[in-house]
Amino acid sequence: MREGEPQSVEIRNLTRDSEVVHWHGLYLPPDIDGAMEEGTPMIAPGASTRYTMTPRPEGFRWYHTHTFAGKNLTKAQYGGLHGLLLIEAHDNPAAYDREVFLGLHDWNGQFLSSDDGYMNPVYDVATINGKMLGSGDPVKVKQGEHAIMHILNSSPTEVHWISFSGHSFKVVALDGNPVAQAQTVSMLRLAPAERVSAIVEMNNPGVWILGEVRKHIQASGMGVVIEYANSSGKPVWTQPEDLVWNYRQFAAAGDAAQLQDAKTIELVFDSKFQGHGNEELWRINGLGYPQNSESEHAFLLQTGQRYRLVMKNKSMDDHPIHLHRHTFEIRRLEDGAEITGVRKDVVLVHAGGTVEVEFVADNPGKTLFHCHQQDHMDRGFMMVFRYA
Amino acid sequence: MHSYFGKLQKTSRSVSLLLVMIGCLLLGSRAAHAQGNYEIQVYGADTVPPKNLMVELHSNYTASGQTKTIDGVYPTNHQEHETLELTQGINNWAEVGFYVFTSEQDGHGVQWVGDHIRPRIRAPDRWHLPVGLSLSTEVGYQRAVYSPDTWTWEIRPIVDKTLERWYFAFNPALERTWHGPDVKQGLGFSPAVKVSYDFTRQISGGLEYYADYGRIGSFDSLQGQQQQIFAVTDLNVSPKWEINIGVGMGSTAATDHLIVKGILGRRFDWGRKSAVE
Repeated sequence: MREGEPQSVEIRNLTRDSEVVHWHGLYLPPDIDGAMEEGTPMIAPGASTRYTMTPRPEGFRWYHTHTFAGKNLTKAQYGGLHGLLLIEAHDNPAAYDREVFLGLHDWNGQFLSSDDGYMNPVYDVATINGKMLGSGDPVKVKQGEHAIMHILNSSPTEVHWISFSGHSFKVVALDGNPVAQAQTVSMLRLAPAERVSAIVEMNNPGVWILGEVRKHIQASGMGVVIEYANSSGKPVWTQPEDLVWNYRQFAAAGDAAQLQDAKTIELVFDSKFQGHGNEELWRINGLGYPQNSESEHAFLLQTGQRYRLVMKNKSMDDHPIHLHRHTFEIRRLEDGAEITGVRKDVVLVHAGGTVEVEFVADNPGKTLFHCHQQDHMDRGFMMVFRYA
Repeated sequence: MHSYFGKLQKTSRSVSLLLVMIGCLLLGSRAAHAQGNYEIQVYGADTVPPKNLMVELHSNYTASGQTKTIDGVYPTNHQEHETLELTQGINNWAEVGFYVFTSEQDGHGVQWVGDHIRPRIRAPDRWHLPVGLSLSTEVGYQRAVYSPDTWTWEIRPIVDKTLERWYFAFNPALERTWHGPDVKQGLGFSPAVKVSYDFTRQISGGLEYYADYGRIGSFDSLQGQQQQIFAVTDLNVSPKWEINIGVGMGSTAATDHLIVKGILGRRFDWGRKSAVE
């Protein structure tokens, strides 16, 4: 889609369940944003609907189902109802020769009790663009090219670490938004729903593997072969020994003084134990959804006001937190000082950590805020901000 | 799991007891069996992960048991049993356990009792079974003063299920003597059951039931069977630690009447070198 150019999208629901499509990262009105919690009408089985939207902001977005799965790990995000979406700016300078789109996903899950006593989905199969390593066609490139890789983690619940043997990534955008400092890194970390756009200089001819860094997940299939023209042979994988990533490296250099006009909203995440054979009930400020969004508890946003969300994760799980219909800026991470220049719509808040983000309430209407792990959403980890 | 070999000292005891069981003996039924009380545990289906070593100490004290030496087998009363169990994970569906059994008692001091080895496999997660399923087999030696049957073998199917706050486990074990007086007795049936409830994330409580019904096809009379119920609590303080405490009551003449048990386990993950593993 072109940024700012009105666009019609027809959606036909050929499934046996009511569906809704969320346009992740776009600034759309609540009635078509794609969350029933915001008031988007569900699309009945067999029915069609047409959305007319003006897509913005430019950047790498995606769309996906936004329904309930519960214990059925074939429904909602587990089932793979999603797609990649690029909103192109009119003046895209395109400092690259090739675009490569890669989607990471996990399949065939089951709930198992993990070491920390929480029930979590565990998957048999992991793919890139729907194929296990060795099953699909290789991505073909040429020596000397600059390829921009748009990578989406559409996994219902899993964080993924990606490395491209023999190459490095120059990260230029996170969640589709340009970063203050483009950095060259050896690997990427993508929490569920996160995207990374990175330019790769194709300067090492051969046949290589781009895949999950953790051995057992690559063994489950998460990898793709990148093949240079006129190269052949067995794909090469160079195993990294550590997992390295930090949002901070993409922040603006220098001090980042706190903006004075941001109103603070404190959000505490925790869970209520339901038995070792059951998933947790997740809570924001002591209440699960929808209780936390009823009028006596809901936060009212003033249009034009800047807000700082102070997110304290008191649980033993990491949470990829997503804000609908807005972009936020990371202002403080678990490890210290204020930062600026990293704008996103999903941020991973580690277990026991606190992350602070700021956003401007500039898109009136109900706005859903939630953990993007499907099992956590299903068990109450959502909240709706309302505009006054 | 229930250690098989401990039963024979109580087997003799049950014979002395009688005279009560004379009828059974005359009928050629398998000698009555008491509970083994070197390792008192109902097995869950999960196995120790690969490159992990589980070290457990089983401490069992018979507060009220057999008081006489019978056929050269020491009495169980006031015996303190310490069992060291080492379980090594092989892969994500197999493990091997090794036991060192000891006993301490006034007049006998601390004694080595015997050793067992126990390979175990389970249904892999990728089978997506609605219950946990595992199969264990255990073979080992024990000294005759603690068990006239010196070589024994056991096969133990394991089924378990966690359902919200409830946990259920069933171990319908089959036992056989390879060397000793009971070598011709055939297969014995020794089921164990556990039901527990999660009061909190850290504290679970419930009941464990252990029995030895005697030879399959010719169960012992009720008083000759072993029937024991333990009230237990499991403390889930950390994934690295296992703590189980219980008090058991024997309800038949062939069973020790009061046993206090404890299991303290620590898991060592010696294979993990980096996060990418």
